[in-house]
Amino acid sequence: MKYKDYYKILGVERTANEEQIKKAYRKLARKYHPDVSKEKDAEEKFKEVSEAYEVLKDADKRKAYDTMGSYQPGQDFRPPPDWEQQFRSGGGGGFQDLGDIDLFDLLSGLGRGGFRPGGAGRGGGTFRLRGQDYEVTAHLSVEEAARGTELEIPLPVTDMSEDGQLRRSTKTVKVRIPKGATDGQRLRVPGKGGPGHGGAPDGDLYVNIQLRPHDLFRVSGHDLYLEVPIAPWEAALGAEVQIPTLDGRVSVKVPAASRAGQKLRVRGKGLPRPGGGEGDLYAVLQVVTPSVLSEREKQLYGELQQASSFNPRAHFS
Amino acid sequence: MGSGFHDQALLTEHLEVALEELAQASGLSQHEIVELVEYGVFQPVGASSATAGSVSAWRFSSRTIVLGRQASRLKADFDLSLFALSLVLTYLQRIEEMEGELAELRAQLPR
Repeated sequence: MKYKDYYKILGVERTANEEQIKKAYRKLARKYHPDVSKEKDAEEKFKEVSEAYEVLKDADKRKAYDTMGSYQPGQDFRPPPDWEQQFRSGGGGGFQDLGDIDLFDLLSGLGRGGFRPGGAGRGGGTFRLRGQDYEVTAHLSVEEAARGTELEIPLPVTDMSEDGQLRRSTKTVKVRIPKGATDGQRLRVPGKGGPGHGGAPDGDLYVNIQLRPHDLFRVSGHDLYLEVPIAPWEAALGAEVQIPTLDGRVSVKVPAASRAGQKLRVRGKGLPRPGGGEGDLYAVLQVVTPSVLSEREKQLYGELQQASSFNPRAHFS
Repeated sequence: MGSGFHDQALLTEHLEVALEELAQASGLSQHEIVELVEYGVFQPVGASSATAGSVSAWRFSSRTIVLGRQASRLKADFDLSLFALSLVLTYLQRIEEMEGELAELRAQLPR
Protein backbone atom coordinates (compact mmCIF):
# COMPACT_ATOMS: atom_id res chain seq x y z
CA MET A 1 0.00 0.00 0.00
CA LYS A 2 1.32 3.46 -0.94
CA TYR A 3 1.47 6.10 1.77
CA LYS A 4 -0.23 9.46 1.29
CA ASP A 5 0.68 12.31 3.61
CA TYR A 6 -2.72 13.90 4.16
CA TYR A 7 -1.31 16.54 6.51
CA LYS A 8 1.21 17.63 3.91
CA ILE A 9 -1.49 17.72 1.20
CA LEU A 10 -3.54 20.13 3.33
CA GLY A 11 -0.41 21.99 4.46
CA VAL A 12 -1.08 21.57 8.19
CA GLU A 13 0.88 20.17 11.13
CA ARG A 14 0.06 16.68 12.38
CA THR A 15 -1.13 18.34 15.57
CA ALA A 16 -3.60 20.62 13.75
CA ASN A 17 -7.05 20.90 15.31
CA GLU A 18 -10.39 20.50 13.50
CA GLU A 19 -10.74 24.22 12.83
CA GLN A 20 -7.25 24.49 11.32
CA ILE A 21 -7.91 21.47 9.12
CA LYS A 22 -11.24 22.89 7.96
CA LYS A 23 -9.66 26.26 7.20
CA ALA A 24 -6.81 24.68 5.21
CA TYR A 25 -9.29 22.57 3.26
CA ARG A 26 -11.51 25.55 2.43
CA LYS A 27 -8.55 27.56 1.20
CA LEU A 28 -7.39 24.76 -1.10
CA ALA A 29 -10.94 23.84 -2.18
CA ARG A 30 -11.48 27.46 -3.19
CA LYS A 31 -8.31 27.26 -5.29
CA TYR A 32 -8.77 23.86 -6.91
CA HIS A 33 -12.50 23.01 -6.97
CA PRO A 34 -13.12 21.97 -10.59
CA ASP A 35 -16.40 23.88 -10.74
CA VAL A 36 -14.77 27.21 -9.96
CA SER A 37 -11.06 26.80 -10.71
CA LYS A 38 -9.14 27.47 -13.88
CA GLU A 39 -5.91 26.08 -12.40
CA LYS A 40 -4.07 23.43 -14.38
CA ASP A 41 -4.72 19.91 -12.99
CA ALA A 42 -7.38 21.41 -10.70
CA GLU A 43 -9.48 18.23 -10.76
CA GLU A 44 -6.59 15.99 -9.74
CA LYS A 45 -5.43 18.38 -7.03
CA PHE A 46 -8.93 18.80 -5.65
CA LYS A 47 -9.33 15.03 -5.50
CA GLU A 48 -6.20 14.81 -3.33
CA VAL A 49 -7.34 17.69 -1.14
CA SER A 50 -10.87 16.36 -0.61
CA GLU A 51 -9.53 12.87 0.07
CA ALA A 52 -7.20 14.27 2.74
CA TYR A 53 -10.06 16.27 4.26
CA GLU A 54 -12.46 13.31 4.24
CA VAL A 55 -9.99 11.40 6.39
CA LEU A 56 -8.73 14.15 8.69
CA LYS A 57 -12.12 15.71 9.48
CA ASP A 58 -13.44 12.39 10.77
CA ALA A 59 -12.07 11.59 14.24
CA ASP A 60 -12.24 7.80 13.73
CA LYS A 61 -10.59 7.84 10.33
CA ARG A 62 -7.95 10.30 11.49
CA LYS A 63 -7.12 8.10 14.46
CA ALA A 64 -6.84 5.04 12.22
CA TYR A 65 -4.66 7.00 9.80
CA ASP A 66 -2.39 8.42 12.52
CA THR A 67 -1.96 4.99 14.07
CA MET A 68 -0.57 3.69 10.77
CA GLY A 69 2.53 5.83 11.33
CA SER A 70 4.28 8.38 9.17
CA TYR A 71 6.13 7.60 5.94
CA GLN A 72 7.34 9.36 2.82
CA PRO A 73 4.57 10.14 0.28
CA GLY A 74 4.37 7.28 -2.24
CA GLN A 75 6.40 4.94 -0.01
CA ASP A 76 5.21 1.33 0.24
CA PHE A 77 4.25 0.58 3.81
CA ARG A 78 2.36 -1.77 6.09
CA PRO A 79 0.39 -0.62 9.09
CA PRO A 80 1.81 -1.73 12.46
CA PRO A 81 0.90 -5.33 13.46
CA ASP A 82 -1.75 -4.31 15.99
CA TRP A 83 -3.46 -1.86 13.61
CA GLU A 84 -5.69 -4.48 12.09
CA GLN A 85 -6.94 -5.75 15.47
CA GLN A 86 -7.67 -2.21 16.51
CA PHE A 87 -9.48 -1.00 13.41
CA ARG A 88 -10.37 -3.94 11.20
CA SER A 89 -13.78 -5.37 11.90
CA GLY A 90 -15.20 -8.82 11.31
CA GLY A 91 -11.90 -10.71 11.06
CA GLY A 92 -10.76 -12.41 7.89
CA GLY A 93 -8.42 -10.98 5.29
CA GLY A 94 -5.18 -9.85 6.81
CA PHE A 95 -2.31 -7.64 5.76
CA GLN A 96 -1.39 -9.90 2.91
CA ASP A 97 -4.52 -8.44 1.25
CA LEU A 98 -3.59 -4.79 1.77
CA GLY A 99 -0.89 -4.63 -0.87
CA ASP A 100 -3.12 -3.53 -3.75
CA ILE A 101 -5.52 -1.48 -1.68
CA ASP A 102 -5.59 2.27 -1.96
CA LEU A 103 -5.09 3.95 1.41
CA PHE A 104 -8.20 6.08 1.00
CA ASP A 105 -10.33 3.07 0.03
CA LEU A 106 -9.16 1.31 3.18
CA LEU A 107 -9.96 4.27 5.41
CA SER A 108 -13.27 4.94 3.63
CA GLY A 109 -14.39 1.48 4.63
CA LEU A 110 -14.37 2.54 8.27
CA GLY A 111 -17.88 2.54 9.65
CA ARG A 112 -19.36 0.90 6.58
CA GLY A 113 -19.03 -2.60 7.89
CA GLY A 114 -15.70 -3.41 6.29
CA PHE A 115 -13.37 -1.61 8.64
CA ARG A 116 -14.11 0.22 11.83
CA PRO A 117 -12.28 1.33 14.93
CA GLY A 118 -12.62 -0.79 18.02
CA GLY A 119 -12.24 -4.31 16.67
CA ALA A 120 -15.01 -6.87 17.09
CA GLY A 121 -18.63 -6.17 16.40
CA ARG A 122 -20.75 -5.30 13.43
CA GLY A 123 -18.50 -6.32 10.56
CA GLY A 124 -20.36 -7.11 7.36
CA GLY A 125 -23.49 -5.30 8.49
CA THR A 126 -26.07 -4.47 5.82
CA PHE A 127 -26.23 -0.98 4.44
CA ARG A 128 -27.70 0.44 1.28
CA LEU A 129 -25.50 2.75 -0.72
CA ARG A 130 -26.12 3.86 -4.29
CA GLY A 131 -23.13 3.29 -6.54
CA GLN A 132 -20.76 6.13 -7.24
CA ASP A 133 -21.39 8.25 -10.35
CA TYR A 134 -18.44 8.56 -12.71
CA GLU A 135 -17.61 11.58 -14.84
CA VAL A 136 -15.20 11.24 -17.72
CA THR A 137 -14.22 13.54 -20.57
CA ALA A 138 -14.29 12.29 -24.15
CA HIS A 139 -12.30 14.24 -26.72
CA LEU A 140 -13.94 13.95 -30.14
CA SER A 141 -12.97 15.19 -33.56
CA VAL A 142 -15.48 17.48 -35.27
CA GLU A 143 -16.16 14.68 -37.78
CA GLU A 144 -16.91 12.20 -34.97
CA ALA A 145 -19.32 14.66 -33.38
CA ALA A 146 -21.05 15.21 -36.71
CA ARG A 147 -21.52 11.55 -37.53
CA GLY A 148 -21.72 10.08 -34.05
CA THR A 149 -19.25 7.53 -32.76
CA GLU A 150 -18.79 4.67 -30.32
CA LEU A 151 -16.24 4.79 -27.52
CA GLU A 152 -14.87 2.24 -25.10
CA ILE A 153 -14.26 3.93 -21.78
CA PRO A 154 -12.12 2.24 -19.13
CA LEU A 155 -13.35 2.95 -15.60
CA PRO A 156 -11.69 2.21 -12.26
CA VAL A 157 -14.01 0.22 -10.00
CA THR A 158 -13.66 -0.21 -6.26
CA ASP A 159 -15.89 -2.96 -4.96
CA MET A 160 -16.32 -4.52 -1.55
CA SER A 161 -16.54 -8.26 -1.13
CA GLU A 162 -18.96 -9.84 1.34
CA ASP A 163 -16.19 -10.19 3.94
CA GLY A 164 -15.43 -6.48 3.72
CA GLN A 165 -12.36 -6.67 1.48
CA LEU A 166 -11.95 -3.77 -0.92
CA ARG A 167 -11.06 -4.69 -4.47
CA ARG A 168 -9.91 -2.45 -7.30
CA SER A 169 -10.42 -3.37 -10.91
CA THR A 170 -11.09 -1.79 -14.28
CA LYS A 171 -14.23 -2.22 -16.32
CA THR A 172 -14.78 -1.08 -19.86
CA VAL A 173 -18.03 0.58 -20.78
CA LYS A 174 -19.08 0.97 -24.39
CA VAL A 175 -20.99 4.15 -25.12
CA ARG A 176 -22.45 5.58 -28.29
CA ILE A 177 -22.13 9.30 -28.78
CA PRO A 178 -25.12 10.23 -30.96
CA LYS A 179 -24.62 12.54 -33.91
CA GLY A 180 -25.23 16.12 -32.98
CA ALA A 181 -23.27 16.11 -29.75
CA THR A 182 -21.25 19.25 -29.33
CA ASP A 183 -18.71 20.89 -27.07
CA GLY A 184 -19.62 20.94 -23.38
CA GLN A 185 -22.61 18.61 -23.64
CA ARG A 186 -23.00 15.62 -21.31
CA LEU A 187 -24.07 12.12 -22.19
CA ARG A 188 -25.71 10.28 -19.33
CA VAL A 189 -25.38 6.50 -19.22
CA PRO A 190 -27.61 5.19 -16.43
CA GLY A 191 -26.37 2.30 -14.33
CA LYS A 192 -22.83 2.33 -15.71
CA GLY A 193 -21.17 3.97 -12.72
CA GLY A 194 -19.89 2.21 -9.62
CA PRO A 195 -21.75 -0.78 -8.16
CA GLY A 196 -24.44 -0.15 -5.55
CA HIS A 197 -24.26 -1.91 -2.17
CA GLY A 198 -26.97 -3.72 -0.27
CA GLY A 199 -29.39 -3.79 -3.19
CA ALA A 200 -29.07 -0.07 -3.95
CA PRO A 201 -28.85 0.86 -7.65
CA ASP A 202 -25.57 1.25 -9.50
CA GLY A 203 -24.33 4.76 -10.17
CA ASP A 204 -24.46 6.52 -13.54
CA LEU A 205 -21.74 7.43 -15.98
CA TYR A 206 -21.54 10.99 -17.32
CA VAL A 207 -19.47 11.64 -20.41
CA ASN A 208 -18.39 15.25 -20.82
CA ILE A 209 -17.97 15.90 -24.54
CA GLN A 210 -15.11 18.08 -25.66
CA LEU A 211 -14.30 18.77 -29.28
CA ARG A 212 -10.69 18.78 -30.42
CA PRO A 213 -9.67 21.82 -32.47
CA HIS A 214 -10.04 21.22 -36.20
CA ASP A 215 -7.46 22.26 -38.78
CA LEU A 216 -10.05 24.07 -40.87
CA PHE A 217 -13.35 24.46 -39.03
CA ARG A 218 -14.07 26.35 -35.84
CA VAL A 219 -17.17 25.30 -33.94
CA SER A 220 -19.69 27.65 -32.41
CA GLY A 221 -22.66 25.75 -31.02
CA HIS A 222 -23.80 23.76 -34.02
CA ASP A 223 -22.44 26.24 -36.56
CA LEU A 224 -19.08 25.91 -38.24
CA TYR A 225 -16.81 28.75 -39.34
CA LEU A 226 -14.34 28.34 -42.16
CA GLU A 227 -11.81 30.93 -43.21
CA VAL A 228 -11.86 31.25 -47.01
CA PRO A 229 -8.93 33.11 -48.58
CA ILE A 230 -9.75 34.95 -51.79
CA ALA A 231 -7.64 37.00 -54.19
CA PRO A 232 -8.21 40.79 -54.42
CA TRP A 233 -9.69 40.46 -57.91
CA GLU A 234 -12.08 37.74 -56.69
CA ALA A 235 -13.22 40.12 -53.93
CA ALA A 236 -13.64 42.97 -56.42
CA LEU A 237 -15.22 41.14 -59.33
CA GLY A 238 -16.95 38.27 -57.55
CA ALA A 239 -16.17 34.58 -58.06
CA GLU A 240 -17.42 31.09 -57.59
CA VAL A 241 -15.09 29.16 -55.25
CA GLN A 242 -15.00 25.59 -53.99
CA ILE A 243 -14.87 25.16 -50.22
CA PRO A 244 -14.64 22.05 -48.04
CA THR A 245 -17.52 20.99 -45.77
CA LEU A 246 -17.83 17.99 -43.46
CA ASP A 247 -19.47 16.06 -46.28
CA GLY A 248 -17.58 17.08 -49.35
CA ARG A 249 -16.84 20.20 -51.30
CA VAL A 250 -19.48 22.72 -52.26
CA SER A 251 -19.43 25.73 -54.51
CA VAL A 252 -20.16 29.17 -53.07
CA LYS A 253 -20.65 32.43 -54.86
CA VAL A 254 -18.49 35.31 -53.67
CA PRO A 255 -20.41 38.48 -54.58
CA ALA A 256 -18.68 41.35 -56.34
CA ALA A 257 -17.28 44.05 -54.02
CA SER A 258 -16.84 41.61 -51.12
CA ARG A 259 -14.87 42.64 -48.07
CA ALA A 260 -12.52 40.82 -45.72
CA GLY A 261 -14.45 39.38 -42.78
CA GLN A 262 -17.68 39.13 -44.75
CA LYS A 263 -19.57 35.92 -43.92
CA LEU A 264 -21.31 33.78 -46.50
CA ARG A 265 -23.81 31.35 -45.03
CA VAL A 266 -23.96 27.81 -46.40
CA ARG A 267 -27.22 26.56 -44.98
CA GLY A 268 -27.36 23.15 -43.30
CA LYS A 269 -23.64 22.37 -43.57
CA GLY A 270 -22.90 22.70 -39.85
CA LEU A 271 -23.24 20.05 -37.17
CA PRO A 272 -26.51 18.15 -36.78
CA ARG A 273 -28.75 19.35 -33.96
CA PRO A 274 -30.05 16.79 -31.44
CA GLY A 275 -33.60 18.07 -31.93
CA GLY A 276 -33.37 17.73 -35.72
CA GLY A 277 -31.95 19.86 -38.50
CA GLU A 278 -28.42 21.09 -38.86
CA GLY A 279 -26.41 24.15 -38.03
CA ASP A 280 -24.92 26.29 -40.79
CA LEU A 281 -21.45 26.70 -42.18
CA TYR A 282 -20.15 30.26 -42.42
CA ALA A 283 -17.45 30.98 -44.95
CA VAL A 284 -15.50 33.97 -43.62
CA LEU A 285 -13.77 35.77 -46.47
CA GLN A 286 -10.14 36.73 -46.11
CA VAL A 287 -8.67 38.88 -48.87
CA VAL A 288 -5.06 37.87 -49.37
CA THR A 289 -2.48 39.34 -51.69
CA PRO A 290 0.37 37.41 -53.29
CA SER A 291 3.55 37.69 -51.21
CA VAL A 292 5.64 37.96 -54.38
CA LEU A 293 4.44 39.91 -57.41
CA SER A 294 5.71 39.36 -60.93
CA GLU A 295 6.69 42.40 -63.00
CA ARG A 296 3.49 42.05 -65.01
CA GLU A 297 1.36 41.93 -61.84
CA LYS A 298 3.10 45.00 -60.47
CA GLN A 299 2.42 46.79 -63.73
CA LEU A 300 -1.28 45.87 -63.64
CA TYR A 301 -1.62 46.96 -60.01
CA GLY A 302 0.07 50.20 -60.96
CA GLU A 303 -2.42 50.75 -63.77
CA LEU A 304 -5.30 50.00 -61.38
CA GLN A 305 -3.90 52.53 -58.92
CA GLN A 306 -3.80 55.20 -61.65
CA ALA A 307 -7.26 54.38 -62.97
CA SER A 308 -9.13 54.03 -59.64
CA SER A 309 -10.55 56.86 -57.57
CA PHE A 310 -11.26 54.50 -54.66
CA ASN A 311 -10.14 55.89 -51.28
CA PRO A 312 -10.50 53.25 -48.52
CA ARG A 313 -9.65 55.91 -45.87
CA ALA A 314 -12.08 58.55 -46.99
CA HIS A 315 -13.83 58.50 -43.61
CA PHE A 316 -10.60 59.65 -41.90
CA SER A 317 -10.79 63.10 -43.44
CA MET B 1 -29.75 -1.78 -20.50
CA GLY B 2 -29.99 -4.85 -22.67
CA SER B 3 -27.93 -5.06 -25.80
CA GLY B 4 -28.16 -1.48 -26.91
CA PHE B 5 -27.59 2.05 -25.86
CA HIS B 6 -31.23 3.09 -25.67
CA ASP B 7 -30.96 4.43 -22.12
CA GLN B 8 -28.05 6.68 -22.99
CA ALA B 9 -29.06 10.25 -23.61
CA LEU B 10 -27.49 13.58 -24.36
CA LEU B 11 -28.58 16.03 -21.69
CA THR B 12 -30.16 18.74 -23.82
CA GLU B 13 -33.17 21.03 -23.66
CA HIS B 14 -35.04 18.58 -25.91
CA LEU B 15 -35.17 15.91 -23.22
CA GLU B 16 -37.15 16.45 -20.03
CA VAL B 17 -36.85 14.81 -16.61
CA ALA B 18 -39.23 14.66 -13.67
CA LEU B 19 -38.42 16.18 -10.28
CA GLU B 20 -37.77 12.75 -8.80
CA GLU B 21 -35.26 11.85 -11.50
CA LEU B 22 -33.53 15.22 -11.19
CA ALA B 23 -33.16 14.62 -7.46
CA GLN B 24 -31.82 11.11 -7.91
CA ALA B 25 -29.33 12.14 -10.62
CA SER B 26 -28.11 15.30 -8.92
CA GLY B 27 -27.90 14.05 -5.35
CA LEU B 28 -30.04 16.99 -4.16
CA SER B 29 -33.21 16.32 -2.19
CA GLN B 30 -36.56 17.27 -3.71
CA HIS B 31 -36.94 19.85 -0.96
CA GLU B 32 -33.60 21.43 -1.91
CA ILE B 33 -34.60 21.51 -5.58
CA VAL B 34 -37.89 23.22 -4.73
CA GLU B 35 -35.99 25.85 -2.74
CA LEU B 36 -33.52 26.39 -5.60
CA VAL B 37 -36.52 26.83 -7.96
CA GLU B 38 -37.82 29.49 -5.56
CA TYR B 39 -34.43 31.24 -5.76
CA GLY B 40 -34.65 31.11 -9.57
CA VAL B 41 -31.66 28.81 -10.11
CA PHE B 42 -33.68 25.95 -11.60
CA GLN B 43 -36.67 26.56 -13.83
CA PRO B 44 -39.33 23.93 -14.43
CA VAL B 45 -40.41 23.62 -18.05
CA GLY B 46 -43.42 25.86 -18.69
CA ALA B 47 -42.14 28.50 -16.24
CA SER B 48 -44.81 30.32 -14.23
CA SER B 49 -47.68 27.92 -14.86
CA ALA B 50 -45.43 25.03 -13.80
CA THR B 51 -44.42 26.63 -10.53
CA ALA B 52 -48.06 27.33 -9.76
CA GLY B 53 -48.98 23.67 -10.18
CA SER B 54 -48.21 20.57 -8.15
CA VAL B 55 -44.53 20.23 -7.33
CA SER B 56 -44.53 16.51 -8.08
CA ALA B 57 -45.68 17.26 -11.64
CA TRP B 58 -42.74 19.58 -12.37
CA ARG B 59 -40.56 18.71 -15.31
CA PHE B 60 -37.12 20.09 -16.09
CA SER B 61 -34.85 20.26 -19.11
CA SER B 62 -32.40 17.38 -18.76
CA ARG B 63 -29.59 19.96 -18.89
CA THR B 64 -30.70 20.88 -15.37
CA ILE B 65 -29.10 17.60 -14.25
CA VAL B 66 -25.67 19.05 -15.09
CA LEU B 67 -26.42 22.17 -13.06
CA GLY B 68 -27.94 20.08 -10.26
CA ARG B 69 -24.85 17.91 -9.99
CA GLN B 70 -22.68 21.01 -9.89
CA ALA B 71 -24.93 22.40 -7.15
CA SER B 72 -24.68 19.18 -5.19
CA ARG B 73 -20.86 19.14 -5.41
CA LEU B 74 -20.51 22.80 -4.42
CA LYS B 75 -22.93 22.42 -1.53
CA ALA B 76 -21.07 19.42 -0.12
CA ASP B 77 -17.52 20.57 -0.82
CA PHE B 78 -17.94 24.14 0.47
CA ASP B 79 -20.60 23.43 3.06
CA LEU B 80 -22.86 26.11 1.51
CA SER B 81 -26.36 27.07 2.55
CA LEU B 82 -28.93 26.88 -0.25
CA PHE B 83 -29.13 30.65 -0.46
CA ALA B 84 -25.34 31.02 -0.78
CA LEU B 85 -25.41 28.18 -3.28
CA SER B 86 -28.03 29.99 -5.36
CA LEU B 87 -25.78 33.06 -5.56
CA VAL B 88 -22.72 31.01 -6.54
CA LEU B 89 -24.68 29.13 -9.20
CA THR B 90 -26.11 32.35 -10.61
CA TYR B 91 -22.60 33.76 -11.03
CA LEU B 92 -21.23 30.53 -12.46
CA GLN B 93 -24.08 30.41 -14.99
CA ARG B 94 -23.37 33.99 -15.93
CA ILE B 95 -19.67 33.19 -16.40
CA GLU B 96 -20.57 30.16 -18.50
CA GLU B 97 -22.85 32.25 -20.71
CA MET B 98 -20.11 34.84 -21.21
CA GLU B 99 -17.54 32.14 -21.96
CA GLY B 100 -19.96 30.72 -24.53
CA GLU B 101 -20.35 34.13 -26.17
CA LEU B 102 -16.57 34.61 -26.11
CA ALA B 103 -16.05 31.22 -27.77
CA GLU B 104 -18.61 32.12 -30.45
CA LEU B 105 -16.89 35.42 -31.15
CA ARG B 106 -13.47 33.76 -31.22
CA ALA B 107 -14.77 31.22 -33.74
CA GLN B 108 -15.60 34.10 -36.05
CA LEU B 109 -12.24 35.85 -35.79
CA PRO B 110 -9.49 35.26 -38.34
CA ARG B 111 -6.75 32.96 -37.05
